[in-house]
Amino acid sequence: MSQTDTTETTANRTDDQGISTTAGETVETTRPEWTNYEAGGETKLAVDDLDVHYGDDHALKSVSMDIPEESVTALIGPSGCGKSTFLRCLNRMNDRIRAARVDGSVELDDEDIYQDGVDLVELRKRVGMVFQSPNPFPKSIRENVSYGPRKHGDIETGLLARLTGRAEPEREEDLVERSLERAALWEEVSDRLDDNALGLSGGQQQRLCIARCLAVDPEVILMDEPASALDPIATSKIEDLIEDLAQDYTVVVVTHSMQQAARVSDQTAVFLTGGELVEYDDTDKIFENPESQRVEDYISGKFG
Amino acid sequence: MPREDYRDSLDELERDVEAMADDVGDQLRHALDALERGDHDLAREVIDGDDRINQQYLDLESDCIDLIALQQPVASDLRFVAASFKILTDLERIGDLATNLARYALAGSPRIAPEVRVETIGEFASAQLGDAVDAYTRADPAACRDIADRDDELDAACQHASETVVRELIASETDRWDVEQLLDDVSRLLLTIRDLERVGDHAVNIAARTLYMSDGDPDLIY
Repeated sequence: MSQTDTTETTANRTDDQGISTTAGETVETTRPEWTNYEAGGETKLAVDDLDVHYGDDHALKSVSMDIPEESVTALIGPSGCGKSTFLRCLNRMNDRIRAARVDGSVELDDEDIYQDGVDLVELRKRVGMVFQSPNPFPKSIRENVSYGPRKHGDIETGLLARLTGRAEPEREEDLVERSLERAALWEEVSDRLDDNALGLSGGQQQRLCIARCLAVDPEVILMDEPASALDPIATSKIEDLIEDLAQDYTVVVVTHSMQQAARVSDQTAVFLTGGELVEYDDTDKIFENPESQRVEDYISGKFG
Repeated sequence: MPREDYRDSLDELERDVEAMADDVGDQLRHALDALERGDHDLAREVIDGDDRINQQYLDLESDCIDLIALQQPVASDLRFVAASFKILTDLERIGDLATNLARYALAGSPRIAPEVRVETIGEFASAQLGDAVDAYTRADPAACRDIADRDDELDAACQHASETVVRELIASETDRWDVEQLLDDVSRLLLTIRDLERVGDHAVNIAARTLYMSDGDPDLIY
C-alpha cells in the first residue's frame, strides 16, 4: 500500500531558539497512500514531510497530513509514538527543547510557521494549547482569563492603550464573560470571579484553561490529553465542549482514549511506534474499517 | 494476546450463531419434509421447536449488546458483532417461516396445481440458507455475491409457481369443488411459495451482512 518512493530535499532552516539546520540533506520518504487522505473543509494546517529528531532519536518520520478547519482531528497511538511531539510541532513548542531538530514544513493558512522571522508569541496566540493537567495561574479566575489578552494588549488597560491607538479594545469584563461562556464555565463561576482559580475542581480548572486559551482569540486549539486527569462527568463536559468549539475553531486533540477519539473527532490520525503516521482518515472509517492491519490490531487491542 | 476474555467472547458468539443457524436449517428442512410427506408429527415438532429458536435469538442478541457495551469492539470485530446481530434476526425470521410451513403441512396437501413443485423450490431456498451460513462461517465474500445472484433464480421460480396456481384457479370448474376448500388450498399454496421466497430473501440478507463483515463492503445491503 505504499506509493513510489520520492526523494525530497528538506527545508533549510535556522531559528532563533536553537533548532539546528539541515542543509540540503536528502531523505527517502515512503508514504502510505492513506496519508494523502483529503479531509473535507478548507485546510487550516498543512503538514508536509515532517521529521523530528531528539538528538539521535528519530521521534517523527516524514509525517504529512492536512488538518481541516472547523473540525476535530484526533491523534491516537501508543505511548512514545510521536503524537504529542507532532502536536507540539503545530505551534513550535518543540523549539523549547534544545536537542530537537525539526525538518519539513507546517503551514498555517499557507504560511510556513517554521520560516525565519515568524513571531512565536503571535503564532502561539493563533495556535493555542491546552495541556493534560489543568494548569491555571495561582490568581483569580478573572485574572486567569484576562492575563493573555492583557499581555497582547487586547483589552482596555487605561490611558496608555487609548493613546497607542488600539481601536475599540474589548472591556475586560466582557472578554472574561465571553471566554468563560464559550468554555461552558460561566454559569458555575460568574458569582466568584475574584476567587483563586486553584479552588476550582479539576474539570472546572481545565475549562478555565480552555477559556484562557480562547481569550486571546485563537484559530487553532491544540489539546494534549485534555481529559485524562478528569472523572467521567468532567470528561464528558470537556468532550461536549470540544465538539462545540469545532464549530468555530480548528481543534487537534491527542488522546490515549480511543473511545474518546471515536466520540469527539471528525478525522483520526493513528501514529504507531517509531514516529510513523500509519493511517489518517475519517474517524468512522478508522474505527469501522481501517486500511492498515497494524491500525486494526492497535485499535482492537490485538497488539502485544 | 491481550484481552483474552474478549477474544473468547467473540469466538463463542461465532460458534453460537453457527449453532443457531444449524438449528434453524434443521427446522426448515423438517418443515419441508413434513409438507412433502404430510407428516403431522414432524410438523408439530417444528412448531414446538420455535420457542427454542426464539430463546436462542434473545440470548445471542443479549450477548451482542453486552459485547458492544462492555468491550467496545472496533474495526473487524465491530463489523463481526454488528453483522452477527443482524444475522440473528434473519435466522429467527427463517425459524418463523419454517413454523408457517409446518402449519401448512398440518392443514393438508392442496388439491390444486400438482405440477407446482414446492419441494424443489424449498430445496433451493434451503440450499441458499446453507450457503449463506457457510459464507458467514468462512467469511467468504465471493460466496456472498453468488448467493445474491442466485436469489433472482428463486424469485423467478416462485413467481412462475404463483402464476401457475392462479391460472389453475381461474381455469378451474368451481362447481366440481368445494369453494371454501379451493380457496383454502389456493391461499395456502400461495403462502407456501411466498414464505419460501422470503427464506431466500433472508439468506441474501445474511450474505449481505457477511460481505460487510468480511470486507466492510455494504454493496449488498442497500
